[in-house]
Amino acid sequence: MIVIVTLDEAGGMSFNGRRQSRDRAVLAQALQLAAGKALWMAPESAPLFPGAPVRADADFLDKAGPGEFCWAEGQALRPYAERIEKLICFRWNRRYPGDVFLDLPLEDWRLTERVDFLGFSHEKITREVYVP
Amino acid sequence: MKRARQALVPLLLALCLLLSACAGPAVSAPDTDLSNLPAYSGAPYVVLDGNVPDFSQEDLTETAFEHYSPLDALGRCSAAWACVGQELMPTEERGSIGQVKPTGWHTVRYDFVDGKYLYNRCHLIGYQLTGENANERNLITGTRYLNVEGMLPFENLVADYVKETGNHVLYRVTPHFEGTELLARGVELEAMSVEDGGEGVLFHVYAYNVQPGVEIDYATGESALSAPAQPEDGQAVTYILNTGTMRFHDPGCASVEQMKEENKAAFAGTREELLAMGYTPCGQCKP
Repeated sequence: MIVIVTLDEAGGMSFNGRRQSRDRAVLAQALQLAAGKALWMAPESAPLFPGAPVRADADFLDKAGPGEFCWAEGQALRPYAERIEKLICFRWNRRYPGDVFLDLPLEDWRLTERVDFLGFSHEKITREVYVP
Repeated sequence: MKRARQALVPLLLALCLLLSACAGPAVSAPDTDLSNLPAYSGAPYVVLDGNVPDFSQEDLTETAFEHYSPLDALGRCSAAWACVGQELMPTEERGSIGQVKPTGWHTVRYDFVDGKYLYNRCHLIGYQLTGENANERNLITGTRYLNVEGMLPFENLVADYVKETGNHVLYRVTPHFEGTELLARGVELEAMSVEDGGEGVLFHVYAYNVQPGVEIDYATGESALSAPAQPEDGQAVTYILNTGTMRFHDPGCASVEQMKEENKAAFAGTREELLAMGYTPCGQCKP
């Protein structure tokens, strides 16, 4: 499976059970990346993609198959590390409060792509693609 | 008839008072018990009251407003609150605020402080939220650490949410002073998104007005370098190295247990020695 996450400057994903940030440009890219493939996510994430054909399921990380995309927001990813074919990180390049952090050691993954782009509410968002 | 008119006066007065109260913000300063607040221990903020702000249902409004309390007899700020919406957000770059000298203000530099200056004029309600420039009721003397690590992350979270959703966030910032001290010990930050009942934004924290490495006299704002915490003779500090990425970590860092064993190495010595060897500190544990 291909996992998509958003991260702040400290590697944070969420605070008090809520996402740190959002940007419609990132959401559009996620849909674009997953076009033609299943895009899985938790039920509470689905309202971010109104009208889009996403698959909302509390056990989405268990159910996603090879080549399918997962939009993760604060879920523990380490138990699924062996099944992750690719990790796409959208970095906000800003600092937010955080109490849940990415639990995958990116330093042990190989960075294959890094692209900066302008967001709607963020001056610079960086998309990074890692493979095991 | 005259008696009836006289009887109406108190009623009309009460009605006027009620109407005037409704016209302004209903929110008031929080009543948080800070007596059990832990001392600063390395984290820029701590969570209060389970991260639930001290707002009542009546406080929640979808009408944007901002309120800055008058300075007290010592010239100190107190609570500032706003219902932040896109209609209050600035549309131009921030102007000069250097003419405001909040209580406890000193222009003092330390080379190791980000930006060099120990103190910033800290907006209670951040400029990006309500566009307030040199409002003396909205500026306190705060350390760079308070400003950047303690307050800015929360302002960013609120600002992004409002920009992306068009919703409103009830937001209150209260500086806390002890006795007649001129420098706040910290600030209390509370926020709740209105239209979705806190589903998007909900927090209640206390951010410390401290600067690691600096001792501060809160009565006056005077400061001095902290005595360095040197390891005792013969006792070295232990770091964990990742020889693959050339990063070093505190032994308790979450990254350590995820590190490949072949890349892991313990090192006893000083931070400076590691920097000289080409290692960089981990961005998460910041050793």
